[in-house]
Amino acid sequence: MIPTAITPPMFPDFSWYYEIPTTTAALLMVAAFVGFYWVGAVIVRPILRMFVRRSPGLNDLIGYILSCFCVFYGLLLGLIAVTAYQNVESAEQNVTREAAALSALYEDVSRYPDPYGQNLRLLIRDYTRYVIKYAWPLQQQGIIPEEGTIRAEALFDRLLDFQPGTPGEEILHAEALRQINHFLECRRLRLHSVKAGLPRAMWIVMFVGAFFNILLCWMFDTRFLTQLVLGGILAAYLGMMMYLIVDMNQPFRGEVSVSPEAFELLYQRMIED
Amino acid sequence: MPVPPDTDPLNRGVVTRRETLRSGVAATLAAARVLAPSLFVGCSLGIPPRAPTVRIGLLHSQTGPLAIGSTSLRDVELDAVERFNAAGGVLGHRIDPRAPDPRSRTDLFPKRAAALLDDGAVALFGCWSSASRKAVLPIVEERDSLLFYPVQYEGNETSRNVIYGGQVPNQQVLPALDWLRSGPGGERKKFFLLGSDYVYPRTTNFIVRKWLAGTGVEIVGEEYVSLDSEDFAPLVARIRERGADCILNTVNGAGNIALFAALAEAGIDPAKVPVVSTSISEDDLRSMPAAHVAGHWVLSSYFQTVDTPANAAWMAGFRSEFGRDRVFGDSMEAAWCLINLWKEAVEKAGSFATEAVRQVFAGGIGFDGPGGKMTIDPATQHATKYFRLGRVRPDRLCDVVVSSDGPLAPDPYPQIAFPGWKCDWKKGGLQRGPEVAIDG
Repeated sequence: MIPTAITPPMFPDFSWYYEIPTTTAALLMVAAFVGFYWVGAVIVRPILRMFVRRSPGLNDLIGYILSCFCVFYGLLLGLIAVTAYQNVESAEQNVTREAAALSALYEDVSRYPDPYGQNLRLLIRDYTRYVIKYAWPLQQQGIIPEEGTIRAEALFDRLLDFQPGTPGEEILHAEALRQINHFLECRRLRLHSVKAGLPRAMWIVMFVGAFFNILLCWMFDTRFLTQLVLGGILAAYLGMMMYLIVDMNQPFRGEVSVSPEAFELLYQRMIED
Repeated sequence: MPVPPDTDPLNRGVVTRRETLRSGVAATLAAARVLAPSLFVGCSLGIPPRAPTVRIGLLHSQTGPLAIGSTSLRDVELDAVERFNAAGGVLGHRIDPRAPDPRSRTDLFPKRAAALLDDGAVALFGCWSSASRKAVLPIVEERDSLLFYPVQYEGNETSRNVIYGGQVPNQQVLPALDWLRSGPGGERKKFFLLGSDYVYPRTTNFIVRKWLAGTGVEIVGEEYVSLDSEDFAPLVARIRERGADCILNTVNGAGNIALFAALAEAGIDPAKVPVVSTSISEDDLRSMPAAHVAGHWVLSSYFQTVDTPANAAWMAGFRSEFGRDRVFGDSMEAAWCLINLWKEAVEKAGSFATEAVRQVFAGGIGFDGPGGKMTIDPATQHATKYFRLGRVRPDRLCDVVVSSDGPLAPDPYPQIAFPGWKCDWKKGGLQRGPEVAIDG
């Protein structure tokens, strides 16, 4: 699996991109690639062909190079797309596990004697509500929410305050502690994935590769209109692939992202309890 | 003579690059013109329009001994902010509440307050103990911000930078003392004063001693415990030994759990020796077993059981968001009123600036809260409050036993304790009397 990393802060801020509706974002990306190709075809193509047009059989040579290049580039894009998808899926799984651990913990502490049981249930609800109402909108902006830590600590502290008085309570408490540790682990993973994305080097390789693809297409010696259409189709597909990767790069951003549904269902059940 | 390409019969029907370009650009522009409105609907340069944001700080302990009650105040304020934002915000601004955790530590309150103000908060809502409020006071005064303080306190303080929403002794303890000495109150003659060891209980008990002097009531004991104290058994033994017929309890926070457990353990009967608590809310009561607290008394301006349509509507709204089992207490109601008053003041002022908002408070402003109308007295920036005394029921809610006829005006400086001290921000501000040493 291709490693992921925290996006460096110096990387250009494309947060506006995630606020555009999905269809528009896809069209924009495709339009950018096709537009770039067409503009290049008008401006750069004549210059490039000055160097290469006199060579006989050049189109064949460019075709071979392009085919070879496309195999490597296609593989790279494919792997990156899979990685980005896996990142989204893994974030989604972490969210589901975190909500499930909270749900199990809620059930466990419901068996605690009052006031501990009551307090702990309130604290779990408080945490869940915070995640839905405040943490999620921040995550969707690529910001790691901070105040959830306070709530998680309050919950952990209160749970540790409880001193089991019977063997049954001891077993219950041990299970609750196991659940809270699992919950904290999932929570940490969720927070980590807020800023996780492809490393900068990978973005550079992807865009440079796309540029080389387009560059090779510009070198073909064909009729202008044919070149615009065929090259445009290739550029459009490159744009689609880039859109797919960019959209999945950050699991909590954009229209196609991990939703807080697991927490919402849990919270609904808690407040109606 | 060469024939121009466009007139050359051999070139007719051949598309030149220039023509292709020209028609391509024209087609693109036409398509963009037609498609743009549908593609970019709801977008402004691709970025959806956002309301400007204004930050406020919610300064409540979420861990430590003061967390039980404080967390509910934070929830009430969050609920209010969410309602403001859902209704379009305040002056067209979305309110962004930030709630760091001072961890029930007095030394952390000013640090968190300073961080919030540095972070652009236009006002602070919170603090619980008087020690925390006094620690934050220099910060808000230095930066000329506003702190909205929702908890009952001891008085003996006024600041242009604080709006006080809780009761002061003349609205809480002093009417209660008069009632306890009366026939319906059981003609109590021997009071034991018990409190946490910080400024609120010590100042309140100082005022109580002055108030009871010469009334024939004997103060049989006065003791203070730390906020995290858990061993009350020796203290309860002393209360019993001295024959107190009433315990005035100013213990704050989680210490009350251990106190009432020790009282129950010692078999103190609330019908004979009631504990009259000043700093206990329904939230605290639910943290204690009913058998420990039922029958004891609580002093407050608001109880959940207050039967008004406004109270029912407020509780229903809050519960739909936070859960049906949530209970409501005095400070929660004050916090709700204060944040609504702030919104009203900002809207009247047309600005979030401290001075503009303060001017609105100086003109007198009120809010119909769940427990009755709360008005901010322009002279002292304290709230008018009802006096209510409630008896704890077995379900850990309180029945109102005594209530004032209407809201009582605040007097932060009862002359019996602080002679010569007076505050009127409309007429010269604070008038200082002789320094008073709070002993005890």
